[in-house]
Amino acid sequence: MTRNTLQRLLPLALLATVLCLPLAVRSATYLHIMILVYLYAYLTTSWNLVGGFAGVLPLGHAAFFGIGAYTSTILSLQYGISPWLGMLVGGVIAAAVGVLIGLPTFKMRGAYFALATIAFAEGFRVMVENIDKLGPFALNGPRGLQIPPLNFGLAEMMFSGKEPYYYIILIMLVAVLLLTSFISRSKLGYYLNAGGEEPEAAMALGINVARAKVIAMAMSSFLTALAGTFYAQLNLYIHPKSAFSLDLSFEIAFIALIGGRGSIVGPVLGALLLRPVSDFSRIYFGDTLPGMHLIIFGVILILVMTFQPRGLQEPLTRLYERLLDRLSGERRAA
Amino acid sequence: MILKVEGLTKEFGGLRAIDNLSMEIPAGGIMGLIGPNGAGKSTAFNCIAGVYAPTAGRIFFNGENIGGQKPWDLCKKGLARTFQIVKPFASKTVLYNVTVGSFATCERRSEAEAKALEVLKFLNLHDKKDMLSGNLTIADRKRLEIARALATEPKLLLLDEVMAGLRPSEVDEVVEMIRKIRDSGVTILLIEHIMRAIMALSDRVVVIQFGKKISEGEPAEVAADPNVIKAYLGDEYVAS
Repeated sequence: MTRNTLQRLLPLALLATVLCLPLAVRSATYLHIMILVYLYAYLTTSWNLVGGFAGVLPLGHAAFFGIGAYTSTILSLQYGISPWLGMLVGGVIAAAVGVLIGLPTFKMRGAYFALATIAFAEGFRVMVENIDKLGPFALNGPRGLQIPPLNFGLAEMMFSGKEPYYYIILIMLVAVLLLTSFISRSKLGYYLNAGGEEPEAAMALGINVARAKVIAMAMSSFLTALAGTFYAQLNLYIHPKSAFSLDLSFEIAFIALIGGRGSIVGPVLGALLLRPVSDFSRIYFGDTLPGMHLIIFGVILILVMTFQPRGLQEPLTRLYERLLDRLSGERRAA
Repeated sequence: MILKVEGLTKEFGGLRAIDNLSMEIPAGGIMGLIGPNGAGKSTAFNCIAGVYAPTAGRIFFNGENIGGQKPWDLCKKGLARTFQIVKPFASKTVLYNVTVGSFATCERRSEAEAKALEVLKFLNLHDKKDMLSGNLTIADRKRLEIARALATEPKLLLLDEVMAGLRPSEVDEVVEMIRKIRDSGVTILLIEHIMRAIMALSDRVVVIQFGKKISEGEPAEVAADPNVIKAYLGDEYVAS
């Protein structure tokens, strides 16, 4: 087999495997963990458009996640609108909020930008926690929103088993991976990378750096909000501390940094490694040492940054290339 | 005149870095801009390139007043620049760096890459296209800086000390490179401390000191101007 065919076949084989996985994994718990792996891989890939490509460190993506979750849930509970439609409405609102947050904050660099995004996201959480009714919309403050499990079916994005959720988030993940890999090879991707690495040089080469970042932010927050709706439908219950949690924003950043910021596979690798750590530590240490997973993340982050500062994707990509060489008996064309 | 600067003044707080500077650059040639350290060369450059908005005065590029316009808009209009302290996108290849530049005039990556390859061939950097720009020697980084700017298809190219820190043989190579760029129809404004290069390249030279123009003319005239000698060496060197 030539190297090229292998290079095409292996991802397809991988896709086939993950498609068949629910047939092999019968345990709802393990399937749920896989769903969360994909969800976080999806979230981190969306985050990567800004946090990876544009070289800034947004730590407030929970705001967009929460906006997505609340918008579709309120529209579905109060107006009977399908979550699929609510998902898009939430996405558009989140994109608008993303642009509004991006316009002033992208002028800041490094830690200042990160802190500003945390402030915005926490602001949203506190507001939602303290508002019972926003105009005609019932937010229910800290009690959150419960979706009664009545209308099961695809149209309502509500299922009694885990399998449909598994496939929905898998499709979303594959779509967002294709989208980001397309963007990274487009003019916008070049402009984001250039603006992130050397803003002054980028401006001199005809790039309106702030504009490119705001466009990326709009896309990133739109995509993040879609995941918020999925999460609400998966759990059928959202509250400010789950949908707008700072933990979520941090975990996304951890996954990105450990997996490999700015690369396409990095977020997937990071989520594959960290999500199970987080879930199992909650299962085993949940009572005695809550928050243990964040400490483990910290340790992994230190190790990865010390030995592989560009994330796990770098050694693993090299390994993958070598595997392709070995299997095909050809050397990679230089 | 491709560039016309009229009474340009730039103040930072109480410091007047550029004081009523006027100059004109005819299309097609090479203009040198020299002056002792701290004379305001780079500030003048940054005003023309849109990094700083001038405090007073006007700058015309192809007849259009461009004072206060942003660098990226000026680049699209055909005014490109390099940086004295090179700023490569270090984690990316040479080709990637130059492609960023050629995207200024097109939308598709295939087209942008083809243009970038042409520029790399033109400047003899083609064999290094797959190297990470962070691993280049200082001489190649300076060349990359020029290549990237040239890929935006400028009409006027501002070169800020592109020969500083190079060995004499490398300076000769860059001098040839700049001639080649001029012959392709690009007007060049050159800031340089290496007099040998300025004298060899410039059609005209402007000398500034303390933000003011103290001399202008052909290279030989300027070199003999007592004002210039005074500025560089001090009063006692002026033959009286």
